[in-house]
Amino acid sequence: MHTGALVIAMNRYLNQVRAIVWKDFITELKTRELFSSMFIFALLVIIIFIFSINLSIVKASEIGPGVMWVAFLFAGTIGLNRSFILEKENDCLQGLLLAPVDRTALYFGKLISNFSFLLIMEFLILPIFMIFFNIDLIPHLLPLIYVIFAGTLGFCTIGTLLSSLSANLKTRDIMLPILLYPLIIPIIIGSVRMTSQVIAGEPLSSMTNWLSLVLCFDVIYIAVSIMIIDFVLEE
Amino acid sequence: MSEEAKQSSSILIWLTALAFLIGMAAIFIYVPTEQMEGAVQRIMYFHIPAAWLAFFSFFIVFICSILFLWKKEREWDIYALASAEIGVIFCSLVLITGPIWARPIWGAWWVWDARLTSTLILWLIYVSYLMLRYQTEAGSMRARFAAVLGIIGFLDIPFIHFSVLWWRTFHPPPKMISPEGLGAGMDTSMVATLMLSLGAFTLLYFVLMGQRIKVEKMKDEVEQLKKDHLYSN
Amino acid sequence: MDNLEYLFAANVFVWGGIFYYLFRIKKYQQSLQNDLNLIKEAIKKGSQSE
Repeated sequence: MHTGALVIAMNRYLNQVRAIVWKDFITELKTRELFSSMFIFALLVIIIFIFSINLSIVKASEIGPGVMWVAFLFAGTIGLNRSFILEKENDCLQGLLLAPVDRTALYFGKLISNFSFLLIMEFLILPIFMIFFNIDLIPHLLPLIYVIFAGTLGFCTIGTLLSSLSANLKTRDIMLPILLYPLIIPIIIGSVRMTSQVIAGEPLSSMTNWLSLVLCFDVIYIAVSIMIIDFVLEE
Repeated sequence: MSEEAKQSSSILIWLTALAFLIGMAAIFIYVPTEQMEGAVQRIMYFHIPAAWLAFFSFFIVFICSILFLWKKEREWDIYALASAEIGVIFCSLVLITGPIWARPIWGAWWVWDARLTSTLILWLIYVSYLMLRYQTEAGSMRARFAAVLGIIGFLDIPFIHFSVLWWRTFHPPPKMISPEGLGAGMDTSMVATLMLSLGAFTLLYFVLMGQRIKVEKMKDEVEQLKKDHLYSN
Repeated sequence: MDNLEYLFAANVFVWGGIFYYLFRIKKYQQSLQNDLNLIKEAIKKGSQSE
């Protein structure tokens, strides 16, 4: 009986999360403005980097991972900025907060949609990156997916929390990166280091310290966000 | 402010001044000059206490942020703001004295050494914290957002520490707290001077806190009076 | 080794920084005290004329 009630509550919670993710995907499929702008922006960042560094002097496999993550980071910031500002327009956020939905469900829904948009964008950027930098990623694809997954998750956990916060500010588009970037420096260092090691052909087991650092970051910030999202999304 | 509070605050100020006087005497007269590095090594007696104070302030911000979210009292918000400001000031002093010390010893103003880099990142986090505070109008929203940032910012410190440490390091291994015990690699007179300086800076923290808190409370009083008497009729 | 000028520069920054901050706080306190006095006076006047 008790477990039955728990299962029902779980299902309700998951349905709430799913509804928010679904809503975001439907909006995106209709407008396609966020995804296309993120993709083109990431592409532009990579191209600008190629023009600003001399690839005949620097080795592509050394500079590549850094450029890749900077592109992901900048494009990701656009996505995060949109995710709550979109709700702020027409007071949709008010509606979401009035709905009988747990605040953490709102956070998880937003986290999942941000995370999946960014992942899809990243996997579309990868082949372009491979061609432009002449780096063969295919033999290292599996560990690379792990690394991108862990790094992007860390970026999105804290990014979603901060974007829910900055959407209420007057200077929101400026404040989000200023608040976000110093906090995710550990993730950036870790992801870039792991990516270059993966590209050099090292197995994941040789970088357990970085991997555990990034995973700890993910877990701790998801936990913290659950605890404090109520204070951010308060009326 | 009550008479008693005024009196204790002036005692604190005189005590701090005295501690600094003794500290300065110890730093510039008593303690022997380091043979390897020369006179410039005396910067250490400002550099390390400033770093300690910055870290201590950020810890207080963290504690006050948690207490604010828990109790929802304006008091904690004021403490967090005052402590963050003082922390940023001392963090800046660390970032200024560090390069001045490094230039004659390492031959470069800035080296991307682990502890200097983490201090820089810490500085950026708390500067963004203060920006958030200054750019938002007073109210419960500002206090809540600042508290959230105060908490996640402090929790980031261990991650920054390890990531930057594994990234690279040149700093001399910590002399003060080494596996052999407190102050093992240092002369006793140096340890004593450093302790004195640490004490004086810690007292200074409380003086600054008291003054900064007073400013914020006066601001609140002005707002309150305006609201009660001038706007209503 | 002669590198006193670096020690001097560091001291200038440390003391300059601390005293500048204290000075700014004191000035702020003064201007707030001024405001407080003005408002209190205005309130007194207002209640007298009523």
